[in-house]
Amino acid sequence: MIRTVTFEKAVWADLPYKFEAGTPAIAQSVGLGAAIDYVTGLGLDAIGAHEADLLTYANQRLSSIDGLNLIGTAPGKASVVSFTMDCAHPHDIGTLVDRAGIAIRVGHHCAQPLMDRIGIAAAARASFGLYNTRAEVDRLTEALEGVREFFG
Amino acid sequence: MFDELRELYQEVILDHGKSPRNFRSIEGARYHAHGYNPMCGDQLEVFVETDDGRITDASFVGKGCAISVASASLMTEMLRGKTVEEARRMFDGFHEMCTTGGDDPLAGFAEEDADRLQVLSGVREFPMRVKCATLAWHTMNAATKGIDEVSTDDGLGAG
Repeated sequence: MIRTVTFEKAVWADLPYKFEAGTPAIAQSVGLGAAIDYVTGLGLDAIGAHEADLLTYANQRLSSIDGLNLIGTAPGKASVVSFTMDCAHPHDIGTLVDRAGIAIRVGHHCAQPLMDRIGIAAAARASFGLYNTRAEVDRLTEALEGVREFFG
Repeated sequence: MFDELRELYQEVILDHGKSPRNFRSIEGARYHAHGYNPMCGDQLEVFVETDDGRITDASFVGKGCAISVASASLMTEMLRGKTVEEARRMFDGFHEMCTTGGDDPLAGFAEEDADRLQVLSGVREFPMRVKCATLAWHTMNAATKGIDEVSTDDGLGAG
């Protein structure tokens, strides 16, 4: 917020007001409202069930891949699957599945102490949302089988 | 499935990535430094032994992806017999090849050396992987300048 503005100079308001923007986040508020309508329209329970289904399915498909190690299988966890593969470093996995049209996160996930605790340098991680499908889990599985062939 | 990635992951890279050469430390080496790639979590140590300014042995230890391990392995093989000055020039040429591509960045190197460096030129098409290829070289370059620790962090701070 300013105190006075002329073509020659601007004088700011005192702290903390000088850091308060003058225009409220109108577009963002409208956008948030639309997002809440969308999510409640689908139903949080329905979204949760869809994500849980994808997680169960992904755990099942990925654990069938030789040399793939799932990390974190506690009940009730969010719909993310972290893993390593004996044949390839997570960064190499990431580059390959990217070519199959799948974006995953690789590296230490801003959690280096946890990586140390588990005894790995890095992991690959796929996360699922309401917009993902079982067919995409199949596609990830195929790509990871391809990684195994490539580096195996 | 990944045929177009053969250019990046050439046989030499897969081979050195799986069975790195000179994967050991050198006690009391003339030059030694730690290299970090904070975006990836890759880390390695490079050791260089010299005799009268000429490299008699080079080695590395550490963890990384196929590309960073292969690059380190190839580098340690190539450094032997070079002067420290030549090694630094090689770093410059290699770095240019991996990043801008430049105007014949490997000109002036022996054909055998240029061929070996060329193997990693595919990373230029994969900006996320350039640091994997250059980590060992950055570390070697820093070591010869008496810097103990080097990071490829570009200040973006992501983790």
